[in-house]
Amino acid sequence: MLNALRRHASLVVIFLIAVTAGLATLQLRGAEAFMTALWHAWDLFLFIVPSLVAGLLLAAALRQLLSPDALARLMGAESGIFGLFIATLVGTLSPGGPMAAFPLVLVLAGAGADRGALVAFILAWSLNGFQKLLVYEAPLLGLDFALLRTLITFPMPMIAGWIARRIPIAWESPK
Amino acid sequence: MSGPQIILWVIALVVLALCARRGIPQARRAVAETNRGFWRILPMFCVALPMAAFLSELVPADIATEWLGDDSGLSGIMIASLAGGIMPGGPFVTFPLVITFSKAGAGVAQMTALLTAWSVYALHRILTWEYPVLGWRFVAMRLASSFFLPVLAGLIMQALLPFFAINLASP
Repeated sequence: MLNALRRHASLVVIFLIAVTAGLATLQLRGAEAFMTALWHAWDLFLFIVPSLVAGLLLAAALRQLLSPDALARLMGAESGIFGLFIATLVGTLSPGGPMAAFPLVLVLAGAGADRGALVAFILAWSLNGFQKLLVYEAPLLGLDFALLRTLITFPMPMIAGWIARRIPIAWESPK
Repeated sequence: MSGPQIILWVIALVVLALCARRGIPQARRAVAETNRGFWRILPMFCVALPMAAFLSELVPADIATEWLGDDSGLSGIMIASLAGGIMPGGPFVTFPLVITFSKAGAGVAQMTALLTAWSVYALHRILTWEYPVLGWRFVAMRLASSFFLPVLAGLIMQALLPFFAINLASP
């Protein structure tokens, strides 16, 4: 029971916020606003679902094709900016949520990627992940914004990785 | 279906075809994984979208203008960065909320900072994944090398905005 609750913690929290906000809307803004909001949510749902399914399919298919071991060899401590660039590219192309990305981080670390590459990978995945971009950001916020924001943040993981290689914090890669 | 959606479908089907060329079992596994993923995410959608819609009804129209509007400048960008950093939940929560904030008057540069901070700081992800998997030294190292990125992204967006017509509230 406790375990199930932990696994679905964010679902429970969001559900509670949704119920509270729904009741508050009903109370403060009236039944009409309540129905408008629900209708709006449904509209958004129909809008997202086609991208969501395509995004998941792409993610699952890519996972069958990519070999993390071969990629990690390009991301060692001596790989310079090129290694950071590869790490950024792989992170951007890595689909799925943290339950898919963090195990991949461990695989990359075990196969020789250095701390800078790992920092770049994590940031590229979370900042510029193509799946998030195509499934959520472009449909919901508009393609113009999504592209411009991604252009701005695309080089950032490389900058952070470059700094991470120079920061005097001792860290042993989990082998 | 919109342009990006069609592009996404074409890419997905091409990659699936590549999978199938390597072997039918791989392609089948990809489809099965897609199916599992969809049913795992669906409950989240069913609560997150109404939540964002209700909040959008509740948030007063002027509240975001003052704190996070286009004219709020650097202070708005910093507030947005803080808010983004502590925002829990996946993209199915965050992006509808950004629409909500934008309707309430939040600026584009401020929302850029918020999205960047949500990706870079991601307090919930640090606690549930990054710290357990990689340790606090790694978390400290990553944050030390990336803490300034959300504000930087917001400022760059602010500098570029005059050249682009972007309206987040009605995409």
